[in-house]
Amino acid sequence: MTVVDSLIALIAVIGTLIVAFVVSVWLPGIERKFVHARIQQRIGPPISSPGLMAPIKFFFKEIINPNSPMPGLYNSLPIIGIIITILLLIIVMPQLYFLAAFASVVALVGLLKVEEILYMFMGSLSKSVLSIRMPFPDLVKGAKHRDVPRSFVEELSSMRAFRLIAFGSFPIYIAIFVPVAMAGSIFLNDIVAYQQLHGPVLFTLGGILGAIVFFVGFMILLNEYPFVILKTKADVIEGPLLEYASKYRAYVYISRGLLIFVLSSIFATLFLGLPPNLLSWTILLNIVVALAFTIIMAIVSAFSPIFTYKQFYPVVAGVSILGVLAIIASFL
Amino acid sequence: MEEDNKITDETPKKQVIETEVPLGPVHSAAIEPYRVRLFVEDEIVKDAEITVGVNHRGVERIMEGLPVEKANSLTEKICGICSNSHIWNSVMVAEKALGTEVPERAQYIRVIMEELERLHSHMLYLAHGNEVLGHETFSMRLFYIRETVMELLRMIGGNRVQYGVPIIGGIRPRAELNQMKLQKITEGMNYIEEKITNFAERFISDSMIMSRITGVGILTKEDAIRLSATGPTLRATGVEVDLRTDMKEYDPFEFDVITQDDGDVKSQLLVRVLEILEAIKIIRQAVKHLPEGPITNRSWEMQDTPITKSYIEVPRGKLYHSYYLDEGRVRNVIVRTPSITNIGAMEHACIGNHITDAQLAVVQCDPCFTCTDRAIQIIQL
Repeated sequence: MTVVDSLIALIAVIGTLIVAFVVSVWLPGIERKFVHARIQQRIGPPISSPGLMAPIKFFFKEIINPNSPMPGLYNSLPIIGIIITILLLIIVMPQLYFLAAFASVVALVGLLKVEEILYMFMGSLSKSVLSIRMPFPDLVKGAKHRDVPRSFVEELSSMRAFRLIAFGSFPIYIAIFVPVAMAGSIFLNDIVAYQQLHGPVLFTLGGILGAIVFFVGFMILLNEYPFVILKTKADVIEGPLLEYASKYRAYVYISRGLLIFVLSSIFATLFLGLPPNLLSWTILLNIVVALAFTIIMAIVSAFSPIFTYKQFYPVVAGVSILGVLAIIASFL
Repeated sequence: MEEDNKITDETPKKQVIETEVPLGPVHSAAIEPYRVRLFVEDEIVKDAEITVGVNHRGVERIMEGLPVEKANSLTEKICGICSNSHIWNSVMVAEKALGTEVPERAQYIRVIMEELERLHSHMLYLAHGNEVLGHETFSMRLFYIRETVMELLRMIGGNRVQYGVPIIGGIRPRAELNQMKLQKITEGMNYIEEKITNFAERFISDSMIMSRITGVGILTKEDAIRLSATGPTLRATGVEVDLRTDMKEYDPFEFDVITQDDGDVKSQLLVRVLEILEAIKIIRQAVKHLPEGPITNRSWEMQDTPITKSYIEVPRGKLYHSYYLDEGRVRNVIVRTPSITNIGAMEHACIGNHITDAQLAVVQCDPCFTCTDRAIQIIQL
């Protein structure tokens, strides 16, 4: 690779990241304005508000220190989340396929796992004022039980994040291995090359099943309705994200929008063989996939109640079985 | 002493609770300030405790010694949802004590107001229930349908809340219903009936929602009676009790007492949906057969009276008001809202459910803690 080639590759990577960022700030607005608000027969927020204007506003807010045993670490977690999301995008860019071990499905899975674990850390490091110990008469007289150890609502979230790591993320990882099974390789360049020869994985039986499973996993990873048990309003409110204020909350918003785009790009790479590349028309297709995922996710979430474990376990088990069938179908 | 402290086989075992999760008094799922202490083991609620008192205003004490007309107006401020129920019941206490006859037309209009209030209260309940379920779309749509009722209430009473319609001996002149208003009420009922029927069909056929609400927050008939549950909360357990069947104001109207058997969240929601349809039926009858005549009887005279009580069936259950009149002023006022007697049922309904369903189990009993708080009597121990 010459210096010019390296320079072009570097420009392509940075350019793709900029495009991803620009598109991702509009995705939450599309979700809430174009889908949720229309379905719910209300005006809804301005399209730029949830993903763009809200983070900008939060950057200029006063920094309030979170109620946390390690506020520094707690505040740094959304930034780590953004870094991981950017790394995930870089992995799927074709300019970096020469880093064979890095540009593989194993690296994708590893980084996605770290992304999930962040929620567990966030939950365990946050102790919001809403559930803090406060003197209240029910502790003094007439109480049913006294001196019971108290749990913070974020601790509940943290435990739920742990369970999600254990079982909730099965669908997305199983779906990721459908193209692997078809291409016979864990390396992304092989998977893309296979699809350039044989056509997209999505247009096979295994690919269709795998795409459905991937989409469910996508929604679980984004903690979107109905899989929003990590931050359900009925008990844990915002859960691990509750204590984030000012620019740190802005990072949370940016991270989520970026994650929608990046997971869509992973799907485009693995199931369509079209990785995000600024130097090619495939970047447009990545944007279309991101838009499609956002709209479908918003429609599903608008018509779903929150799942508790009673619904969560069977759905994850059923979708995981579908994923296994997809892998079996991909071998046929 | 050592002998006294020795644990024997006869010593009752104290229930060991693993963790307490305190929710409230400020919480996003609670639209009112109340506190729920959930005692959980592995996210399953083993016991629950609900505490109110955060919003205490001492309305009963404020009413003490006020002229009866002013006191009646003040009762309306107890609750923003069932304000008409409070003023109606308070006015009924005075009418009962003074022996005042109310013109038939005024009784009909009072019933229309009360049933409209039941409509908006039940729709608010359904919307809030769906919000706690996490189904924002249904919640928003129900609020949208409810707007029609709110506009009808504004048309009759002049306000969207605290309409001030009943007065001693009848209703205020501004609440008189002319043909145009009656036509609008009829159109409103047609619209709400169509929309609520559509909602009910969609709601029942949604397997995800049914999975969330079936078998959750179960309250058996025996427990509901033991815990003094009232209103739709009691009727959802299969007990056929509705004070409206005993109220002379409702004698001219035909309606069914709605009951369900399961006592879970599904039954609680369905009872309210079906009661909405019954309320529409009553309003239609009242509009159709609204008698001609005066709307106020001014021929009553103030006098001292003994303690007089009145119970009526309001959207949440049985509402109690009592006081006596002394030189035209009210004394010894007692107000008991239905939610205070439903608290035991709410606590019981939480037990055995996942912690996410606990708020749902509370909400299923349609609590109105703010009116309970404002009126409840705090006894110094």
